[in-house]
Amino acid sequence: MAYQTPAVVMDNGTGYSKLGFAGNDSPSFVFPTAIATKGPAGGAGGSGSGRPAVAQKPSYLTGGAGPAGHLSAKRGTEDLDYFIGDEAIAMGSGPGYGIHYPIRHGQIDNWDHMERFWQNSIFKYLRVEPEDHYFLLTEPPLNPPEARENTAEIMFESFNCAGLYIAVQAVLALAASWTSSKVQDRSLTGTVIDSGDGVTHVIPVAEGYVVGSSIKSIPIAGRDITYFVQSLLRDRNEPDSSLKTAESIKEEFCYVCPDIVKEFTRFDKDPERFQKYVVDQGAGKKVTVDVGYERFLAPEIFFNPEIYSSDFLTPLPVVVDNVIQSAPIDVRRGLYKNIVLSGGSTLYKDFGRRLQRDIRHLVDARIKRSEQKSGAKSGGLEVHVITHKRQRHGPWFGGSLLGQTPEFRSYCHTKAEYDEIGPSIVRRFALLGGPA
Amino acid sequence: MLLLEYHNLLIQTLLTERFNSTTPTSIDQIISDFDGVTFHVSTPESKTKILVSISVKCFSDLVKYGANDVLRREYGPYVVEPEVGYDFSIVLDLENLPATQEEKDELIRKVALLRRNAMAAPFERAIDTHHSLSTEAAKFTAESAPETSNSEVMAIHYREEEAMYIQASHDRVTVVFSTVFREETDRIFGKVFLSEFVDARRRAIQNAPQVLYRNDPPLEIRNVPGVKTDESGDLGYITFVLFPRHLTRQRREESISHIQTFRDYFHYHIKAAKAYMHSRMRRRVADFLKVLNRAQPEQEEKEKKTVTGRTFTRAT
Amino acid sequence: MSQSLRPYLKCVRSSLTAAISLSNFASQTAERHNAPEIEAGRTPEVILNPLVIARNENEKVLIETSINSIRVSIKIKQADEIEHILVHKFMRFLTQRAENFFILRRKPVKGYDISFLITNFHTEAMLKHKLVDFIIHFMEEVDKEISEMKLFLNARARFVAEAFLTPVSSFHGAAVLSWG
Repeated sequence: MAYQTPAVVMDNGTGYSKLGFAGNDSPSFVFPTAIATKGPAGGAGGSGSGRPAVAQKPSYLTGGAGPAGHLSAKRGTEDLDYFIGDEAIAMGSGPGYGIHYPIRHGQIDNWDHMERFWQNSIFKYLRVEPEDHYFLLTEPPLNPPEARENTAEIMFESFNCAGLYIAVQAVLALAASWTSSKVQDRSLTGTVIDSGDGVTHVIPVAEGYVVGSSIKSIPIAGRDITYFVQSLLRDRNEPDSSLKTAESIKEEFCYVCPDIVKEFTRFDKDPERFQKYVVDQGAGKKVTVDVGYERFLAPEIFFNPEIYSSDFLTPLPVVVDNVIQSAPIDVRRGLYKNIVLSGGSTLYKDFGRRLQRDIRHLVDARIKRSEQKSGAKSGGLEVHVITHKRQRHGPWFGGSLLGQTPEFRSYCHTKAEYDEIGPSIVRRFALLGGPA
Repeated sequence: MLLLEYHNLLIQTLLTERFNSTTPTSIDQIISDFDGVTFHVSTPESKTKILVSISVKCFSDLVKYGANDVLRREYGPYVVEPEVGYDFSIVLDLENLPATQEEKDELIRKVALLRRNAMAAPFERAIDTHHSLSTEAAKFTAESAPETSNSEVMAIHYREEEAMYIQASHDRVTVVFSTVFREETDRIFGKVFLSEFVDARRRAIQNAPQVLYRNDPPLEIRNVPGVKTDESGDLGYITFVLFPRHLTRQRREESISHIQTFRDYFHYHIKAAKAYMHSRMRRRVADFLKVLNRAQPEQEEKEKKTVTGRTFTRAT
Repeated sequence: MSQSLRPYLKCVRSSLTAAISLSNFASQTAERHNAPEIEAGRTPEVILNPLVIARNENEKVLIETSINSIRVSIKIKQADEIEHILVHKFMRFLTQRAENFFILRRKPVKGYDISFLITNFHTEAMLKHKLVDFIIHFMEEVDKEISEMKLFLNARARFVAEAFLTPVSSFHGAAVLSWG
């Protein structure tokens, strides 16, 4: 048939999974990467060693405890009785189900759970027949090739998908930045600052390949900002200082200021900047919470971590500068020119501008020092931080962009190749979006 | 998850969110569904008018059997000219929604069942034909009642190599699915599953529809153009015989929805079984590794001393 | 069924215990190389006669020994095509993870389902009787696993068929699904 089915793009991260079809501008589903199975929470789950648990065998006794779910009352179908995403969180808080998080630190920990997670995503949420579609999956940088082979084994053998492409999340974030108006040429060289809920990564990418030894992680991310907002609310004895409120305030009111001292005086001069946030505590009860200095103080912990905790003291611009300096010298210019933001915690207003200014100061100071010492004049170094509208789901959007190109299918590994050669074909993927 | 849902989850969540939110936003999403069905949800003219279009691969077949009438009946006031590249479109005006929450939910439910309704037409026609034939037959006495049916066999090629054939007669409605298995594993698993389908009636559920399975086309559809006999054994024909008790006024809607999902349900469970096999195998591998590691002797941490009395631990 | 199993396994165990007497042997054909002679096959004087222990024509074990390596190939009982495909999948799964298994060979010898390659380096690092235990354990477990998987498949098929064809009350919210 002339019509080609759209590719399916699945970005499974530690916190959230983003699923959708290539060609769309935002993912169709965003839900937590969690799976609720019958039995106790946590633990090694299915991939532990030892004999299979009694409940898993096709037995004629009702498996497991728990009043919930007619399914497990029928024989031998405990493996079909599970939920993923938001439903998993909801069911997990009740009796009989335990929540598991199959992805830890970006990498898949528990393959049984991941296989079931994918199964539900494909058949219940996306409603596609895998044989008809090509799949684009993502992986974190420094993912071992064995993990890729396991993924391919599941995708091709269990689901019979037509074709598979596994891309590195940082490279997709770079591709997503091509939609920004500030970008003239489509380059796959740049520094990706990926800030999510748990941790922030700074990843330099040269010509589409990640410079693995230069990757640095900062333990400051969305969750820490939320805690900071919460602690400020608590200090002021606000009527509602729950985590949820802190999170909503963070997302709605926070922004990055150019200078804290000036911002304090600006706030004192202009009381308009103090806002109010109405919290709906359920059962019709509403409380008003004042929102003040935390509007600009909270995101400031990226640039001045000492105001939050003394565990980690290096500001983000310094980390980025160090990362680029540790990369090979011939790509550094490209890395400075193309600093791309990705992830939910980079969405604060003026985050990009402040970062660009700070990095530029560091770079200019270094150039001045070297000019003084050597006497020769430098040509200057451009520093650009690229922001674009699709930052929140940068890797997913990059995948959607690349998945809708006509040549995408030729880059994938097909089922026929897998059947003939074996899983080792997925150790190498041709670079999508790179030079032909 | 055991049974596949009839409705499209994404359309349902999208519309529920849009109906209940106060700020309209623009949408442009292409959504795929089983069996070559594509939806396009967009807001081309204004943010408050949501255009939902569906394109079905076998639409031309469906139109032959009255799909347009069924769709017009279900979505009457919302139908518009089909969007370019699609087969059928409806427009939902956010400013003109029904008043109560239940009516809104009902509307969302109906739109999410767009695919099911599009494919329902041939089934409805078959059931109606069956009812009229049976009332005809009731006029005859037992001896002279017509034996075989000469009514039309409706063919719907909903997938590239697979099709559905429906035929009505005076005492039953026969639905034949032709299905293809590319993989040998799938074929063998499929055979096991299908033999159970065939046996289910005999063994446990006396009231279930009768299921038959064979590799060559059954008698009823042999004369239909396009029906191939495939020697290699990839192609299989599964016949469902629906009896009058399944086709009563109360039951027919459910029966139609349910039997449409058969092929996808079937393939889904084959894949679920394969996934379960994988997890069993993983457990076995871990088990074997444990036994193998017993073969490695214990590495004792021997405290070694040099002559001057310094100790060091051996790095293993 | 297990009447003939015990003596079969006992025989395999004693043959293996006798055969795994391996010592280091530097390659005679390539300088400064040390290759498993049973795989290289270039030096006929260090390769011993192969031995087949067959329970029936569908189940047998082939033991090929040499001075520094031994290759054990197993053919597993496959009565019908379901078992055939299950064995095939399981073996493929295992060989995919051959690196973790040290002694597993990535491709089985022709005519057999799976092969192990044990070299003198393995016997120096691991206890010999435990290695033999492992192989016997493997043979028993694989048979058990295949029959369990087959049982599961049948039970699941029955369940799936019934679920599709029976009255089921609460899967689809308010609508009562009933076939009659």
